[in-house]
Amino acid sequence: MKKILLNRDFILFSIILIILIAVGFANPLFITPKSISDVLTDTSILIILALSQMIVILIRAIDLSVASNLALSGMLISLLSTVHPELPVYYFIALSCVIGTILGVLNGISIAILKVPFIVTTLGTLSIYRGLIYFVSDGKQVYSNEFSEDFLALIHFKFLSLSFLFWLAVVVFILIYVLLNHTRFGRNLYSLGGNPDAAKYIGVNENKYIIMAYSLSGFFAGLCGYLWVARYSVASTQIAIGFELTVISACVVGGISVMGGVGTVLGCVLGALLIGLIRNALPAVDISQFWQLAISGGIILLAIIINTKTEQRKEKTIMVEN
Amino acid sequence: MKLELKNISKNFHGVKALQNVDFQLQENSIHALLGENGAGKSTLVKILCGVYQPDSGIINLNNKQQSIPDPSASLSLGISAIHQESVMFDELSVTENVFIGNHITKSNGLVDWGLMQDKTNQLLKDLEANIEPNEKIKDLSIAQRHIVQISRSLIHDADIVIMDEPTASLSQKEINELYTIIRNLKKQNKSIIFISHKLDEVIEVCDEFTVLRDGELIKSDSIQNTNKDQLITYMAGREVNQIFPKNNVTIENEIFEVRNLFKKTQFKDINFNLRKKEILGFYGLVGSGRTEIMKSIFGITKLDEGEILFKDQKILIRKPSDAIDQGIVYLSEERQQLGMTGLMSVKDNINMAVMDRNSNFYVMNTLKEIKNSSAMQEKLNIKVSYWSQLTQSLSGGNQQKTVIAKWLSTKPEVLILDEPTKGIDVRSKSAVHEFMGELVEEGMSIMMISSELPEILGMCDRVVVMYKGLIKDILNVKETSSEQIVKLASGES
Repeated sequence: MKKILLNRDFILFSIILIILIAVGFANPLFITPKSISDVLTDTSILIILALSQMIVILIRAIDLSVASNLALSGMLISLLSTVHPELPVYYFIALSCVIGTILGVLNGISIAILKVPFIVTTLGTLSIYRGLIYFVSDGKQVYSNEFSEDFLALIHFKFLSLSFLFWLAVVVFILIYVLLNHTRFGRNLYSLGGNPDAAKYIGVNENKYIIMAYSLSGFFAGLCGYLWVARYSVASTQIAIGFELTVISACVVGGISVMGGVGTVLGCVLGALLIGLIRNALPAVDISQFWQLAISGGIILLAIIINTKTEQRKEKTIMVEN
Repeated sequence: MKLELKNISKNFHGVKALQNVDFQLQENSIHALLGENGAGKSTLVKILCGVYQPDSGIINLNNKQQSIPDPSASLSLGISAIHQESVMFDELSVTENVFIGNHITKSNGLVDWGLMQDKTNQLLKDLEANIEPNEKIKDLSIAQRHIVQISRSLIHDADIVIMDEPTASLSQKEINELYTIIRNLKKQNKSIIFISHKLDEVIEVCDEFTVLRDGELIKSDSIQNTNKDQLITYMAGREVNQIFPKNNVTIENEIFEVRNLFKKTQFKDINFNLRKKEILGFYGLVGSGRTEIMKSIFGITKLDEGEILFKDQKILIRKPSDAIDQGIVYLSEERQQLGMTGLMSVKDNINMAVMDRNSNFYVMNTLKEIKNSSAMQEKLNIKVSYWSQLTQSLSGGNQQKTVIAKWLSTKPEVLILDEPTKGIDVRSKSAVHEFMGELVEEGMSIMMISSELPEILGMCDRVVVMYKGLIKDILNVKETSSEQIVKLASGES
């Protein structure tokens, strides 16, 4: 029992519940099924990106280029859809994923083969991919009326009164859970992050895994490129700017260690949910806009402190208690 | 013949690590690979593990010539190495560490956790090890970690198991358990390459030996045809008559005393005193509380109860700098992590603990610093190629001397040494011992934690024997025997 109470994921879950209840007292409208379903929809993209970022963080790296990747993939398919509105939506989704994957592979190659440190590589591609959006779009936006109906329809599909975005996040959660816990690939990611030298001794090919992790991160950034554009019905140079930091903080709140090799898939999702909840709850309790950013930062920091303090390692017992 | 290496040579930037070395491992035998640090043992092992490629030479395995281009090739040839440290995954479970890189998958491609769990359980039972497959590695003792590594090589179906100093930080009891496991491995038709600095155990456990010195093959023979002194001669290249050059000093009055030290779950009723010019040994199983007591005395961890007296005055130590100010210093067992900063020069490392004494109003006095470090380098014979050489590029022995120099700069009166000669070669070891003798002659008092009985018996005046956080007895070394100490330390009397 005590073990469950000290479990990081459980603590995080409790924090989410407490915030939900507190906000519910301040504004009962916030905890209606409709409103909660909206929060879930709103957080889905963050969940998907946090899960794919987790794969990269597990091997002691970080992908700062996800938001730019997302925006570039989103812009490219939006431009294509204005020219070829007749193409089916699945075509655009697949294409967005392919573009995202290619951008991710480029990151991986730069890090694994060219040996440019991950922080430098992805900081560079963060600007490059963002800059390319200006290049391909001439700085113009694609507005909602320019998209085909088909392109935007999928996102409004609902099942059990929960949105398509939410169900997609559930699918991605299950996929990544199985990938990280029940495949050799996933377990080797943990070993590579936990002890890179030792992983080499057991024959884990580090370069292959770096490239694979970044391609996955790119793949999901590409997927979210479509989701983002379709959900907000707009593609511009400015979409998702700075979102990579939100994604990384979701991972950190979720207990994914930036030192690599530690973290659970469930924790990662809870981290994203907590951040999504705070972002949606603060406007609901009438906190001045000027304060919202600082307060949400404060709550995130507090959550991390509570989470890590309670999990601090117990000292080993030497004496046998009589 | 299981494995035969012929004419293996390996150079690193012009330094000859191995020169035309031959090595033969018989089927079903335990083969000791001996030599001082830098003799070429680890280079040889790394060639077998596929980490290094030899510049020239042939590797024959089961009478077939093989090349080992990378670590996974080495594994698939049936060679498995058990390293001292750093090859375990602390955050992962025992089961996963056993199967790492070799996960069993079901027909649908997913990892079969249940089967792996069962197999690990069976394996640990066969080895008679009391370890839960679910435990995380970070919660295991060093001996238990070795057993997990051995299980791993069994899962890999290795024919050749290389053990690099497997007993370096184990207690006598754990060592005996490990011997049983090694002999069991031999019964299962495995060949074992056994690297160790402890010659007594080599003679006890091994069938054959090979001695390397400065990258050359010195001698290879059956263990029956040799003895300890001869092995030392092969390794050192000269007769080492006296391994423990203890000078005869007159022990003076009591200088340091602890009364009723207590820390919850760690130790209790700790009472002992230390006299001027004395070397007081601390012997016990790894994890018997020796290091924990010293850390509390030095102010790294907090005591729950008890008092510390220094020169008959009660003193309060809340943090390490309090202890240093009093003249008490502690040299940690983990010199690489806790003792030095590898990316700083030897000079900076030596002066690290005395910055306040070598500065005027917060501005460093470089002249004073150079004076201190060159005096220390001369005194301890620390060999550097140039004055700004980084500490990490020094040999293990010289690194240890640098750490000692750092603490001696503070001019301590009580020196606490935690496993000062762990993992360093015979010659550096006797240099450290010689130096300890000189220090007590100059008036210093030393407390030394050691897991090596010969070192305790050779160097100390008295020995505190610990078991599970309690002092079992304090013995006068001249009036005791190794059997008695081992008995006390394993809690059997």
